[in-house]
Amino acid sequence: MPTTSSDSQTASTRRTIAVLGNPNVGKTTLFNRIAGIRAKTSNFPGTTQEARVAHVELNASPDDPIESILIDLPGIYSLDLDLSESKICADVLAGTAAPVGEEAHTPDALLVVIDATNLMRNLTIVGESIAKRLPTVVAVNMIDAARRRGIYIDAAKFAECLGCSVVLCSARTGEGVDELTAALSHAKIPDRSAPTDQSGIERWSEDVYALVSMPTEHLADDTLTDRLDRAFTHPVLGMLSFVAIMTGLFWMIFKLASYPMDWIDLWFGAVGSWAGSLIPPGAIHDLMVDGVIAGVGGTVIFLPQICLLFFLLALLEGSGYLARAAFVIDRALRPFGLSGHAFVPLLSSHACAIPGIMAARAIPDKRDRLATILVAPFMSCTARIPVYVLLTTILFPYRPLYQALAFTMCYALGIFAGLFTSLLFRRTILRGKSRPMALELPSYRLPDLKSALLLTFDRGMVFLKKAGTLILAISIVLWWLGAYPHSGPTDAAIELRAQAEALVDPEQAETLLAQADSLDTRNAAANSFLGRIGGTFQPMFAPLGYDRQLTVGVLASFAAREVFVSTMAVQVAGSDDVEDDTVLESIANATNDDGSRIFTYATSWSLLFFYVLASLCLPTLVVTAKEAGGWKWATLQLGWMSLLAYTSALAAYQFIIAAGGS
Amino acid sequence: MPIHNASMPKASRKAVPLTQLSRGQRGRIDCTDAASEDCSMLRAMGLRPDASIQMCRLGEPCIISLTGGCGGGCRIGLAKDIASRVMIHIDE
Repeated sequence: MPTTSSDSQTASTRRTIAVLGNPNVGKTTLFNRIAGIRAKTSNFPGTTQEARVAHVELNASPDDPIESILIDLPGIYSLDLDLSESKICADVLAGTAAPVGEEAHTPDALLVVIDATNLMRNLTIVGESIAKRLPTVVAVNMIDAARRRGIYIDAAKFAECLGCSVVLCSARTGEGVDELTAALSHAKIPDRSAPTDQSGIERWSEDVYALVSMPTEHLADDTLTDRLDRAFTHPVLGMLSFVAIMTGLFWMIFKLASYPMDWIDLWFGAVGSWAGSLIPPGAIHDLMVDGVIAGVGGTVIFLPQICLLFFLLALLEGSGYLARAAFVIDRALRPFGLSGHAFVPLLSSHACAIPGIMAARAIPDKRDRLATILVAPFMSCTARIPVYVLLTTILFPYRPLYQALAFTMCYALGIFAGLFTSLLFRRTILRGKSRPMALELPSYRLPDLKSALLLTFDRGMVFLKKAGTLILAISIVLWWLGAYPHSGPTDAAIELRAQAEALVDPEQAETLLAQADSLDTRNAAANSFLGRIGGTFQPMFAPLGYDRQLTVGVLASFAAREVFVSTMAVQVAGSDDVEDDTVLESIANATNDDGSRIFTYATSWSLLFFYVLASLCLPTLVVTAKEAGGWKWATLQLGWMSLLAYTSALAAYQFIIAAGGS
Repeated sequence: MPIHNASMPKASRKAVPLTQLSRGQRGRIDCTDAASEDCSMLRAMGLRPDASIQMCRLGEPCIISLTGGCGGGCRIGLAKDIASRVMIHIDE
């Protein structure tokens, strides 16, 4: 079996092996079986395509391990298609492209993975590969499934036809994998060739197929597959099963993730206290506790939801269901100018728009892809949830049914705004019909847990890296803007403290001291850079009903929207005279300097509309610019979402005020 | 001439759109009258001229299986738009 190598050896002595194959042939499962957990995902520079890369030792014999770099290329049907994944694969084989961190050179060997249950179609990529004149090994995967279908493949004759090693294997059971790694160590340049034009290669593949496979007249019994397909793609039943499956998925994401989220919250709280007690009071103390730990903790808390989403999606994809669901959604999305390919990106965006926008890479048509990217941030991500919870609680205290309805309305409003946006853009700047879907429907099977876990681990690491870099930087900047310049104690606070000292009753003294602290905190917040910025921009938000403190909350949210709750909590701490049990209550009861409530009925509705529709996430804009291919798209996204958010919030506020509301 | 075609059933001379097949009916692909990039994609996916197929589900989406000796293991879903552009010789 292959073992993981140490990194001491230089890249030049390692053999690079490119792994190529059609989609749905179990290529990644085979790669994971050979490479294990040490593989990492890398991008190709300047593109949105990614590959998994692993450094492994392939044992030609027990005493002769060969250091190798395995590159799992994107799944493609042909090297000659006008698709970015086909082009990147062709470039890797030509030695002109390599994933980030690897040196671009012609691969030392090629592992072509094909599906034994669908041999003839897979021969196209085999023919194109052997024409590259690189040492090649062909892995005929899923041989166990082929046997069950009564398909017989003659490996020796196949090897003879291609002029290179052919190994029958099953990535799922491990059958033939040792033989495959041994064959890779001795891979040789094929001594046969295939035609290079499409018609020629098709004829060649028919001939090879006829020679190496016993044609089966008997079709396997696919009654169950047929029934499932008809049910899952049925206009009514398909939509019902889709809703049921997605409800289950979201229930699991929100329910199961809540436990690890609480643990992470507690852990960051404990780390904050520990660091707070260790570092002497001062700027470094505040930076570490309020900036770094609170900022990163506030983001990492969403890690369980993101991991769970990717894990469950990987299981659904592995089961074969997602391809069917894409067609159900295609029917619903097509009138709005989106295709079924947008389903996974938009679904992922309900956890976080960033992985959602990144998932849009898989959409083949450029205009479909751009429309999906522009629409994705309208889906209610998990970062909006704390804000929704706060505002629905303020609007409907102690009425859980109304809270739930308002919560659902937020999700529906986001989806509706997204569809409307797509419709508008597809009729103007992205004019043209959505490309009709043609998708391979993989067989229904039990999903591969190991592959799902590896993918989840990968996505989780990408998210953590982002939390440790970009989000950390934003948190530090925000903390600095909110903490500086320092303000001294106010005259009113000094007087209150003096009164407290003179009092005999310790409880009364404590109340006065708390009031003094609250006054100082408010004064510091108002005089900080962030407070001054809030004061400057407040007139712009006044028609929406926002005071200076809310304006600061909204502005701070431009870095990341979940910051709103924490910013408001810091600003209004102890501002009211009511004894509050929780942070939520303290924000809900917060008052202005003149004693009026900050969160009135009209203001809360206005904020709710604003937070559903506004593009309050800097990292999303960065990812949009990268994935859509320019800052003009990110600017358009920001401008359009801000316009929709502002006008909707304005309309909500003014309507409630005009109708006699408060 | 591909060897395995000798054992295949006779196909009608006149080609009809894929959407005119009934469930369970088999045929062979004649040609695809779609945009060139869709056409190359479909060919690479296995919907090439002379490929044997069986209709599994009609409507939107139209689901067919590639039957050419592989036991019908490969299924392809096609939007109606594109399915109506794939021309088929129905097996007699």
